[in-house]
Order: sequence, then structure tokens, then C-alpha cells
Amino acid sequence: MAESSVIGAGTVVSGHVRGDGSLEILGRVEGDVNVTGNVIVGASGRVRGSVSGAELSIAGHVQGDLRGTLAVLLENGARVAGDISSPRVGIAPGALARGHVQTDGEPAAAARPASAARPASAGVRPADAPRDPRRGAPAPAARPSPVAAARVAPARPNPPIQPSVAKVPARAEARPEPRKPDAPKPVAAPSAAVAPPETEFVPVRPLKVEPRRPPPPVVPVLGKGVKAKKKKLHD
Amino acid sequence: MAGTVIGEGLTIEGDISGDEEIVIHGNLRGRLTTSDAVTVGGTAVVGADITGASLSVAGQVTGDVTASERVDIQAGGKLVGDIKAARFTIADGASFKGNVDMEL
Amino acid sequence: MPRHPNEISVVGAATRVTGRISGDGALRIEGSVKGDINVNGDAEIAEGGSVEGNLQGDGVDIGGSLLGDVQARGAIAVRAGAEVRGELRGAEVSIEAGARVSVRLDTEFELDFGGAPQRRH
Repeated sequence: MAESSVIGAGTVVSGHVRGDGSLEILGRVEGDVNVTGNVIVGASGRVRGSVSGAELSIAGHVQGDLRGTLAVLLENGARVAGDISSPRVGIAPGALARGHVQTDGEPAAAARPASAARPASAGVRPADAPRDPRRGAPAPAARPSPVAAARVAPARPNPPIQPSVAKVPARAEARPEPRKPDAPKPVAAPSAAVAPPETEFVPVRPLKVEPRRPPPPVVPVLGKGVKAKKKKLHD
Repeated sequence: MAGTVIGEGLTIEGDISGDEEIVIHGNLRGRLTTSDAVTVGGTAVVGADITGASLSVAGQVTGDVTASERVDIQAGGKLVGDIKAARFTIADGASFKGNVDMEL
Repeated sequence: MPRHPNEISVVGAATRVTGRISGDGALRIEGSVKGDINVNGDAEIAEGGSVEGNLQGDGVDIGGSLLGDVQARGAIAVRAGAEVRGELRGAEVSIEAGARVSVRLDTEFELDFGGAPQRRH
């Protein structure tokens, strides 16, 4: 059965609305709305509370935060006072919004294509950090620099160790991969760090590279009671 | 078409009030007041006092109900609470526990 | 900046400006600008263009990347391919779905929650 609900134009709900299915609000809701499906706030709809759903389509008035896992679209006539967060946000001409609008940290990930201006923005991001907490932007934006530096360091010692394996010294030295992190890493790291916004980025892992220690010395094993044989130089 | 329809997957915690028809297939915990008809569908679970012009219960209602016209509890429906209505019917197979006041 | 306000100035795609831009007339940024921009005219950041600094103009159209605050006397339009971080203040702000933004909007308007909901008789 189609799980869709309607709060009619003449109805007021004072309380929270949550559950599965989609919801069309033509009346008034004084409380939070949290559903798994789409939410339409019609032109006559008035919501005083936050709205969470898959795709939110707003043509009425909302005083509260809007969170759409798919999209948040404000139509002509919408009035929204609150923060908006969704991978896709559209505010049509004629819609008015006041608050923070965020498309889930994608600005960093999408930075890759325009390579010309990248060094500038890569340098800018850490400087942006003081502004980020205020904006609620994900902290990982500030982390890529230490990670990039950390990634470069462990990469270095690896090639020198390879030659001890004897057969592949040439290949190890010539192997471009460990070298590559130098230049593009600062660019790639931010996107890798920010791409999965849900996960906590823990830059500590790469530092666990331990092969720096020299291999344990090979000690000839002597049996018990064996005395050193003194070589008689002369008889 | 009904003014307000609360689908099966939906839960409302709070008060619903209006002047149009209300149909509930989901869950409500709070209070429900309208000047029009109220229908509590078979899948609904309602813990609320209900006031309306008429009330038809096919699901579960725990609370006092007041209707200016009539209250009907369908087969399979269950009401625990007092009824205040001019007329009422409790169908065969329905469940009811409470008092009835047919004000004249 | 031109003395004729009807002319549009352009910062070409291969041009990098470091410093302030101010004056009368419209301005289109196709390259990159690092510095504040303040024009008495419409300002446009074309797709591929980038501005790092604050932007003041009449109407502001952002198709490229902007890191900074915008103060528009008229409307601010953020296009689908744009990337914007900062505060946007204008008579109206529109954002095309697909834009990547982390912005604070500060538009002046009133919400109307009225009294009772619409009554139908």
C-alpha cells in the first residue's frame, strides 16, 4: 500500500510526526517532522519545527532546519528560517531563505577538476579552519594537511628497505608510487578525507608503518657446552 | 477525499485539531479534535481522546471519545474508554470496554 | 575600470589578478581573482572563474568558484556548477540544484504563521 499521508489545510498537529512513507503538509505542524519518505510542504503549509526526509519540497513557510537525504528544493513563495542541509539544494527565484545552507561538504571533493587554481585553494583550506567550526562544516577539511605530510613520511623509508630483498632493488627505486604522494597528495587527500562525510576521519592509521627497524641480526646458534676452538697457529 | 490522512507508517505524538475529515491508519498518542468525521482504520493504534462529528473505529483506540452524531465500532475494532454520543453501534466481533453516555 | 558604465569588463580565463577591483560598470570574471571586488554594476563569476575575496555588486551571478562574502544590492544567483563558501547577502538569493555550497544566507523577510489555520466551511 502506498504509504502517503496528508495533513489537511484545516488541520493543526501540535507534536512530532515521524515514521515511514511520504507526507504532504497543507496545514500546520508545530513540532518536528522526521519521515523516511518525501515531504511536501504546500503553499498553505506552515511548519514550526525541523523537517527531515528523503526529498523535501517546500512551497510554504518553515521555521526550523531542513534536512533531506536526497534533496531540498524551495519553490517560489517558500519562506524558510533555518539551516538547510542536503546533497542537492535548490532555492528557486521567489523563495526566500535565512540560515546556513550546506551541500554536505562536497565543495572540497569537487575541487579536483579545476587544477589550475588548486594550489591556492589547497592552501586556503587550513586557513578556512577558524571559520569552519562556526559554520559547522566538517572538521576533516582542516585535517588533510597533516595527513598529507604524514603520508609522505612513511612512504620514504619503504624503498630503501626493499633492496635488502636483493632481487628487486631497481624496481623498488623506480617504483613511482611512493614518490607520487608528494605533489598530488595534498589535492587528493582532501577529497579522500571528505568524500565519506559520515565516517570519522582518523589520520593516525598511516603512521603505524614500522618497517623502519633494521632486521634482527642473524646470530649463529651454538649448542650448549661448545667451547670456542682455538686455532693453533703453530704446532 | 478526506482532509487529513495519517498513513500506516506514520506516528504522531501530540495533538491533532482541525475542522475537516481525519483518517488515521498509523499511530497517534495525544489528542484528536475535529468538527468533522474521524475514521480510525484497521491498522491504527490510537492512544488519545477523540472528539468529532462522527467516529468509526476499525483499529485500536484507548481514550474517551465524544461525537456530536455517532460512534461506530466495527468488527475487529477495539475501544477502551468512554463514549459520549447521540448514537452508537458496536458491531459483532468488536471489542469495547467503557461507559456510554447518550446525551439527549 | 571603464568610464562608460554600459561596458562590461572581463578578467580573461588565463588571467590572474591579485589585488582589489573596484569601479563602475559590470564585471565578468573568467580567470581568477584574489582580492576584494566592489563594483557599481552587475558582477559575474563565469564557470571556470574563481574569486577568493569579498564581492560587492548590484546583481551577482556565480557560475564558478567563490570563497568569500557577497553583498548584492539586487539578487544573487548561484548556478548549478558553482562552488561557494561564505555569506551571501542580497535582496534575494537563488541556488540551482547541483551547486556545491556552504553558505550563510542573511535575507530579510517575515514568516507568516498567522493565527488559526484556514477554515473551510
